[in-house]
Amino acid sequence: MSRNIKLAQYLVRLYPKVWRNRYEEEFLALLEQQPLSLPDGIDLCLGALDAHFHPHFGIAALSVYEKIRQMLASLRGSLLTIFCAYCGFLVAGIGFQKMNEYSGFVEATQTYGIVGLSFHLVMIGAVVALLAVLVGGIPLVAAVVRDAFARKHYGLLFLLAAPILALAVFIGATLFLEGLIPVGAPTLQTFLSRGIFIAVFLGAAVISTGALCYAVVRSEISEKLLRFAVLPAILLAFAMAVMLVATLIWGLDLRNSAPHLFNSNEGMFGTSTIGSWLTIVIEMAIATALAMISLVRGFSARSALPPAMA
Amino acid sequence: MNSFNLGRFSDPPILILASLAGSPKHGYAIMEDIVAFADVHLGPGTLYGAIARLESQGLIEPLPADERRRPYRLTAAGVAFLQKQLTGLETFANMGLQRLADI
Repeated sequence: MSRNIKLAQYLVRLYPKVWRNRYEEEFLALLEQQPLSLPDGIDLCLGALDAHFHPHFGIAALSVYEKIRQMLASLRGSLLTIFCAYCGFLVAGIGFQKMNEYSGFVEATQTYGIVGLSFHLVMIGAVVALLAVLVGGIPLVAAVVRDAFARKHYGLLFLLAAPILALAVFIGATLFLEGLIPVGAPTLQTFLSRGIFIAVFLGAAVISTGALCYAVVRSEISEKLLRFAVLPAILLAFAMAVMLVATLIWGLDLRNSAPHLFNSNEGMFGTSTIGSWLTIVIEMAIATALAMISLVRGFSARSALPPAMA
Repeated sequence: MNSFNLGRFSDPPILILASLAGSPKHGYAIMEDIVAFADVHLGPGTLYGAIARLESQGLIEPLPADERRRPYRLTAAGVAFLQKQLTGLETFANMGLQRLADI
């Protein structure tokens, strides 16, 4: 098998499963008939992105029941991806908030108009995003609880409790590590303690998010609830975009207004401010892009549901 | 029509419908045909993106697969749609030629 065909086979895996079930064989037959040039390879990748935006591609030949099932699965997957993106964004946001607890940044927020305005925009965006998650998420959690009792799947209740357990573990680990960090100049023990703290924090966030998503995937959620959840998801994605822009403006204006602070080592855990800010912005940008793509995909799946389901 | 580039009218779905108006074809044959009559190369992602759209809109339909290759043909809705699009283009072309003749 030539390298070209192997590459084509790898690239075809970028397409969604539903699409591949329908078109993969004939698509590979086409790719085997012509060498894959660089422009064609790029075109293929863009085609895969387009197929992710349109989850209804490839379902034309399916029965109405299968079409509805596929579209509801796509809608649910999109909503959960938006939620995961929000959780990733939240981790970056917590980093930004912790960084701003340092007195130099508090002073800058009060002194420089744009720095202060952008910081407050991030705070307002965080409240709006949280409200959107609660409005969209509480009915889904209630549906999971109802389903757990109705079908006697009590494991679902354990999954819903996982974030509380993870929080308890995180608080316990924090209290334990606090006593281990030596006062004064950083030592190997300081770095180890910080490393464990970050690992526990990220672990708790991943386990909590994963458990909630798994509970929703395993439950029977009505189509009406899933359709409704798209509306708060729009608000959530918009709030994330606003916070991303505000965080970007915050750093750019800080660089102009207070270069001594921007070029200092007042970032997370005493690291470079620029490095911390850039890390936060990049993480926020990736999460926002993921949320936006999933929102488009969710809309597409929602609009592809048969009229009887509307 | 050789070497005639349709420019902004080289909309992939229209090109595919025009290709299938001749006879049912599979993906590679559609691609080759479009190069022959419009001098436009559709990338594989663009071609199958357009095929998926046309199929989901009911403008084309698949025929039984010939080994791994699956031919497509126009549906009645596809014929009507293409007719309407080409008539619109013809009206536009006639109007443009008329104005050029008046210069």
